[in-house]
Amino acid sequence: MGTKRLLAFASALAVAAPLSLAHASEIRVGFTLDADTLDPANHRKRETETIIRNMYDGILTRDGDMKVVPELAESWTQVSPTVYEFKLRKGVKFHDGSDMTAEDVKFTLDRITVEGAMEGQTSPRKSLLGPVTGVEIVDADTIRINLGEPWPILPAMLPFQEVVSKAFVEKVGTDGMATQVNGTGPFKLVDWRKGDSIIMERFEDYYGGATDIPPVGKACVDRVIFKVIPENASRVAALLAGDVDIVNELPAHSIAQVKNNAATDVMTVNGTRSFFIALNNESEIFEDVRVRRAAMHAIDKKLIIDKILAGNAAPISGILSPDAFGHNKDLPDYGYDPDKAKALLAEAGYPNGVDVELDTEGAFKDIAEAVGSLLTKVGIRTKVVVGEGSQLSSKWRTKGEPKTGDMFFTSWGNGSLDPFDIFVPTHRTADRGNSAGYANPELDRILDEAGVELDQAKREALYNQAEAIVNADLPYLYLWVPQDVYGVSKRLSGWKPSADSRINLHDACVN
Amino acid sequence: MPIGKFLERLFQLVPVLLGVSVIVFLMMALTPGDPVDIMIGDQQISEAEEQILRRDLGLDQPLIQRFATFLGNAATGNFGLSFYHRRPVIDVIAERLPATIELSLVALLLALVTAIPLGVLAAVKKNTIFDRLATVGSLLGVSLPGFWFGILLLMLFAVHLQILPVSGRIGFTSEVSPITHFLLIDTLLHGRPDAFLDALSHIILPALTLGLPMTAILMRVTRTSMLEVMRQDYVTFAEAKGLSRKRILFRHALKNALIPTVSVAAIETGSLLGGNMIVETVFGWPGLGRLVVESIFVRNYPLVQAAVLFYAVTYVLLNFVADLLYTLLNPRVKL
Repeated sequence: MGTKRLLAFASALAVAAPLSLAHASEIRVGFTLDADTLDPANHRKRETETIIRNMYDGILTRDGDMKVVPELAESWTQVSPTVYEFKLRKGVKFHDGSDMTAEDVKFTLDRITVEGAMEGQTSPRKSLLGPVTGVEIVDADTIRINLGEPWPILPAMLPFQEVVSKAFVEKVGTDGMATQVNGTGPFKLVDWRKGDSIIMERFEDYYGGATDIPPVGKACVDRVIFKVIPENASRVAALLAGDVDIVNELPAHSIAQVKNNAATDVMTVNGTRSFFIALNNESEIFEDVRVRRAAMHAIDKKLIIDKILAGNAAPISGILSPDAFGHNKDLPDYGYDPDKAKALLAEAGYPNGVDVELDTEGAFKDIAEAVGSLLTKVGIRTKVVVGEGSQLSSKWRTKGEPKTGDMFFTSWGNGSLDPFDIFVPTHRTADRGNSAGYANPELDRILDEAGVELDQAKREALYNQAEAIVNADLPYLYLWVPQDVYGVSKRLSGWKPSADSRINLHDACVN
Repeated sequence: MPIGKFLERLFQLVPVLLGVSVIVFLMMALTPGDPVDIMIGDQQISEAEEQILRRDLGLDQPLIQRFATFLGNAATGNFGLSFYHRRPVIDVIAERLPATIELSLVALLLALVTAIPLGVLAAVKKNTIFDRLATVGSLLGVSLPGFWFGILLLMLFAVHLQILPVSGRIGFTSEVSPITHFLLIDTLLHGRPDAFLDALSHIILPALTLGLPMTAILMRVTRTSMLEVMRQDYVTFAEAKGLSRKRILFRHALKNALIPTVSVAAIETGSLLGGNMIVETVFGWPGLGRLVVESIFVRNYPLVQAAVLFYAVTYVLLNFVADLLYTLLNPRVKL
């Protein structure tokens, strides 16, 4: 009886199915996470920013090659080591029809950088604008950003901030900003079904976006939908079933399936996250650089990239991505050489090998186990221990306090592709992300100097030097930068994945 | 049941909730992992800015003071601001709750309408092929991981047969303005049978996945208690009187056999809430379960605390309802 009823249901539904057919011109993105809030100044999450960024524009943005280009600004100049001047674009409208002015830009930046500016609360994004001390309006189309100290990466950090309307924020308040949108971006908010989807439609009065990123103009499609599908298998299923046109974080084991399907394809781009293994430089075993080098020689990066990451990663020999500013292209590579590894280990006083533990998060268990078996082969007998992300963070990222583990398989993101926000936290003595417990006053000095050096060529040389030092010292086993892998529908055109993992749908079309 | 007993039972809720509050507060606070650290993630931040963030989230105060504040506020129904959404926790939970309740009720309904007839049939046809199949089926139902079963259903009905949608609660073109926030009801209130079918097509797979273990358990319980009842004297007596088998089964036996089924169903409904966390993730169902899982990972204390308290209240109330039903159906039992 029960089964009969189910069959009846199923046939009724088969009739109902065409109702959910695609809108004529609509792109749907199967996305891992919902936005936490729609307030550009009140979050710290990349996924939230990806969604918001389709409705809001920034003063600056990045082109396909990750070069910083003007967006709501027309151009910028550096007036002095601590003053940047921005010419603003004319004729830009907010979604409610009002004009964007220098007032709005100043208000936006003040809201982020001034303590307590959000109805008593301070923006959690304040630190992203580091030493900004104030914003002045020079004339109707010009603003100046003042810094407390030289900070050459200001332009690299501005694409992370979106311009809001002063009048609108004052009208709806911080509460209202969490769920309402009045931006200058290519899409307007239609409906936010929390936990399920965010529906946007084309903003007809859009000024066209950054002139350096052609084609310039209104968005191509009528509607854009971010549909929240957290589970990997379900997200892939949605793509295969034609429910969505783009999915992010396509798992490596689904790549072949998506490629082989007639209607779908795979797109990749170098990501901005470096993967590495922190060696506890304070431990008896890894205190010795010979052991650290032995471990590096034991790892066959190419094998792991090919077999486990389906070829979607770029190997690194220092902390920086090959695409990052200041990356040293001439770093010596510790090639896969198990004999050399064994010899180094014996030389360090461990002819019979050592027993160590490798901490990792569940998601990377298979990779860590592969690394572990390679290490074990040369005598660094590795036991993989799975922990949960923040528990491991509090064990390893101790900001100078003593560490208890041996090895930690982890990663650090570098959204700006500037060494500043990856090199400093992971390598400066006792800094937030320094899991290795590495302390090198010489390197600290170079990093401090590079952080305020305005001559870009000199800055680049300093980071080159820093990479050479850590490549020799090897506080970490530097592994790879994985590519971001997207599954896309073949009806999609005009879109390619961006290295900063933003999904910019301004120029995307569907056939 | 006398009203005094009823109030007494209700009053017992207070220590339970207080206990749960203490446990959930301590568990969250003592779990390694600092919310501020997780929030900042991979970015550079100065010590001073970290302190500001900590202060804004109220994490700069000693544990005992935070607990006192939490209890005081909770007593007045204020659970604070969600760290990530930056809105009152109650609002965030209220947005997600209807989806979870709707899914649970449909799963419960599906379980009841399949488990009871199957259970009765298995008892009547004891030791036949059907009974054995039902036994094996229910064993599978209890032991299959919901996650796996859900993905299996999804691949079959959504990807290969393409007769049901992959995820979500309703299609994008079937928008109706919320009245009760239960889409199956709202679509009908708006007179939109097309949207109703759309919502129904979305709920079927998650409800089946969620309801499967419960169906299996209820079927076993119904079968066992039906067999038990059929051995009773009054059934033998009825048979001796020459009443039809159908009449004996459905008028006399089933009524008594359902007593344990109903109370088990009430208790098991609480466990549906737990199963929701997995099913909601698989089917992208915008309910509370997924929100809680995500919140645990990022140490969103206020949200997890409020949600767990809500689960506790629901569970206690359902147990209470189960006891009530039991006494109503079986007057010999006293609370």
